[in-house]
Amino acid sequence: MAVQTLDVTDVTCPLTWVRTKLALERLAPGDELTVSCAPGEALENVPRSAAEAGHDVAVEGTLVRIVRR
Amino acid sequence: MSEDRRAFFRALVRSAAGQPGAPPEETAPAAPPGLGDEEVERYSRQLVLPEWSEAAQLTLREASVLVVGAGALGSPVASYLAGAGVGRLGIVDDDTVELSNLHRQPLHFTPDLGAPKAESAAAKLRFLNPEVVVEPYQARFAPAMVEGADLVVDCSDSFATRYEVNAACCAARVALVEGGVVGLSGLVMAIRPGESACYRCAFPEPPPPGAAPTCAEAGVLGPAAGVIGSLQALEALKLLAGLDGALLGAFLQVDLHDHGFLRVSVTRRADCPDCATL
Repeated sequence: MAVQTLDVTDVTCPLTWVRTKLALERLAPGDELTVSCAPGEALENVPRSAAEAGHDVAVEGTLVRIVRR
Repeated sequence: MSEDRRAFFRALVRSAAGQPGAPPEETAPAAPPGLGDEEVERYSRQLVLPEWSEAAQLTLREASVLVVGAGALGSPVASYLAGAGVGRLGIVDDDTVELSNLHRQPLHFTPDLGAPKAESAAAKLRFLNPEVVVEPYQARFAPAMVEGADLVVDCSDSFATRYEVNAACCAARVALVEGGVVGLSGLVMAIRPGESACYRCAFPEPPPPGAAPTCAEAGVLGPAAGVIGSLQALEALKLLAGLDGALLGAFLQVDLHDHGFLRVSVTRRADCPDCATL
C-alpha cells in the first residue's frame, strides 16, 4: 500500500478539497493519502468531503488520513 | 497537435477558403500532461463535483468542438464550453452583428455592430478563457467542417442547416448536439451517429415551407434561448466527458411558458437516409 502526502494549508475552500480529490484520483484503491490541513474550515471540510465520497477517513491533529476506496 | 486535429483544421480552412477573415492554421502550444495549478483553480468548481475528475478535464482540454452559429444559441454554448475548458472551439457564422441581435446574443455588444459574428464571438471567448484556441470562420456551414471534430453543437436557426449538419455528422460519425428555439419554446437532442437516433430519425421531414416560423420571423425571448443553449452546452459536456444521463435516443421538448419539460424517446429508423447504413 502506497502512502502519499499533500499539503493544502496554503489554499482555501474549495481548493482544499479539489486538490485532495485530484490527488486521490491518482492513487490506486487501498492507497493512503495524508493531507495536512489548516485548522478551521479545511480541517472540517476535507475529512467530511472524503467520507461523503466513500473513502475511509481518520483525523489526527491537523493531519487527515484518507484511504482511497 | 495530433493528426486528426490537423485534419480538422485543414478541413475548416478549406471550407472557409475564399471567405474574408479566414485565419491561417494555428498550432496550439504543447500542453503539460496533467492540469497546472492555474487550471486547477480555474476549473475548481467543476473539478470539485463527484461527477467530474481530472481525467474528464484533460479529455475536455484535448477536445475539438465545432459550434455552428454564433447567435442566440451559439452565445451560451460557446461561452460555457470555453469556460469549461474545451481545448479548441471552431465558431462558424457567416452573418454580421445587427442591433436586433443584441437582446438574445450575449457574446455581442453594441460596439460590435457590423462586425462578423464569428470574429466578435471569438474575441469575447478569448477574454473569457485564454487557454482555449478559438478559430472563427466567417462562412456558411459546409460538411467538410465536421471532419476531425470530436463534437458539433448545432446552433443554427434554419431547418435546412440543421438537416445539413445532421447529415454531415452522421457521415463522419461525429457526435452532435442539436437545438432550436422559437418564442418561449425549444428543443434539445444529443446524437451519437450509429448508436442513437439522429435528428432525421426524430424528424424525417422538415416542416413544409411557411409552416414553421424561423427565429427571425417569429421572435424569441433572450432567456429562452439562454435556457436551450445552456442545455445544449450541458449535453455537450456530458458527451465529451462520458458522463451518464446524456439525451441520447430522445429529445427534450421545453415549453418555458409553463416550465414544461417533456422527454420524448426516439428510436433509430431503418430507412433513415442519414444514419441507417451506419
